[in-house]
Amino acid sequence: MFDYLKLEVRRTLRDVGFVVGGIAMPVLMYLLFTNLGADDGTWKTGAMVGMAGYGAVGCALNTGGGVAEDRAIGWLRQLRVTPMTPRQVVVGRTLTGSVTVVPAIVAVLAAGGLLNGVRLAVWQWAAIAVLLWLGSVPFTLLGLGNGYRLTGQTTGVTNMACNLGLAVLGGLWFPVALFPNWLRTVSACTPTYRFAELGTSVASGHAPTLGAVAVLSAWLLAFGSYAVLSYRRGAGTS
Amino acid sequence: MTSDTEPAVSFTGAVKNYGTVRAVDGVDLAVAPGETVALLGRNGAGKSTAISLLLGLIEPDEGSVRLFGAHPERAVRDGRVGAMLQEARAVPRVTVRELVTFVAGRYPTPMPVARALELAGIAELAGRRLDRLSGGQVQRVRFALALAGSPALLVLDEPTSALDVEARQAFWTSMRGYARRGHTVLFSTHHLQEADAYADRILVVDRGRIVADGTGEQLKRSVGGGLVAFDLAGRPSDGLERLPGVRSLEIRGDRARLRTDDPDATVLALAAVGAIRGLEVAPASLDEAFLALTSSVTEAA
Repeated sequence: MFDYLKLEVRRTLRDVGFVVGGIAMPVLMYLLFTNLGADDGTWKTGAMVGMAGYGAVGCALNTGGGVAEDRAIGWLRQLRVTPMTPRQVVVGRTLTGSVTVVPAIVAVLAAGGLLNGVRLAVWQWAAIAVLLWLGSVPFTLLGLGNGYRLTGQTTGVTNMACNLGLAVLGGLWFPVALFPNWLRTVSACTPTYRFAELGTSVASGHAPTLGAVAVLSAWLLAFGSYAVLSYRRGAGTS
Repeated sequence: MTSDTEPAVSFTGAVKNYGTVRAVDGVDLAVAPGETVALLGRNGAGKSTAISLLLGLIEPDEGSVRLFGAHPERAVRDGRVGAMLQEARAVPRVTVRELVTFVAGRYPTPMPVARALELAGIAELAGRRLDRLSGGQVQRVRFALALAGSPALLVLDEPTSALDVEARQAFWTSMRGYARRGHTVLFSTHHLQEADAYADRILVVDRGRIVADGTGEQLKRSVGGGLVAFDLAGRPSDGLERLPGVRSLEIRGDRARLRTDDPDATVLALAAVGAIRGLEVAPASLDEAFLALTSSVTEAA
């Protein structure tokens, strides 16, 4: 299992598209969004959490793209004729997702702390990183659901749509405060908004709200079921 | 536990349908440990479906498939099976050594990675990434993946399709070497010469059924007959196709070639009319045996 994780993490990190799109892009966007126009200290912190979240969501979804690719090239099929069990393969893939979100989170937080002068207590830095890391699991499952269900190309497009749609709706790019009222209501139900909320609560000095944890848990369950159903459907053809 | 007397592979009345197509149509077979068996048939004859059943990738609709007396999935989990599948492509962003090491590590008693690379003829490619190799090189990597776990049963689906002549030779030499150490090998092919040259036993598959089972020699004999050729020396060829045993007649220049079910009777009849100049009698070739055994009506190419 650990070997499989190592192999897949290595393959992911060697993907130039992943490194540029999943890690470098959120950092650049963060620096761009916070250093253009009027400067406001709180936005630098809020955007930092938002962009770290955006990067993490992108990387988490990317795991599904990897699965679709592995299905297409016959690698999952090859694994099925080794002693590895399907369960080990799926768990290994999920863990791969949770490892590969780490660089994006760390990179954006580092940009915030080192380049944008965001000042937080040590426990806040640690808590934000850990919460964003844990909170990315539903998105990994969403990506896996797509990857096991769809073809390689469709998975890529679907993941991108999920990523951008959820990022914008959830206020990872622009503060939700700028949204009209009705959109704010929608936003409050998105997993991305609640995901970022985990981090922003800590940044402003208090624990994540119960609402955030509840909504995110519901999405975890929904995306988890979706992944299981997709896997069962795709199992015969992988 | 399974004993040594248990067949390495056994199919009992196995059936697999895809919609209305019977891809595997009631197959019974047993492969003893240590045998090297070729599954010979045209494209679409059912070879790959049979192999998918054998590996437990799909379940039979009827009948059963066993490996070493157990469900195929069990045998695969126990590390007794290594396989080279047909449609696999290069795994991107990983080196040959990394991938072979990973697969070898899944098995309880793998061979050293260097040995697997050497057997597959890719020792010099160890540090290269798979997505930067040629099709033939990738195919050899897949052979190394199948061998890496040192499995008791090696299953190879059309293993030489992307290889050039030289690589093909090297491949079969390695395969024979592996089989000689007591391992069971089952490979599928549509090349008669490969089946004849490298298998102890040939199973001819046609339309989802096993239509013949034996050594290359036995298959040729079972079809019987042969080819009788002689110089016409100006003699008319009319009526030759009506001689005893003759199935077909072909004239090439001045030479008549008679395909016959009973070479002796044909030769005697030719001798009776004095048509024996440059007379030549050859046994049926494996190609002919294959054509006779499988329904050539549906032949694609």
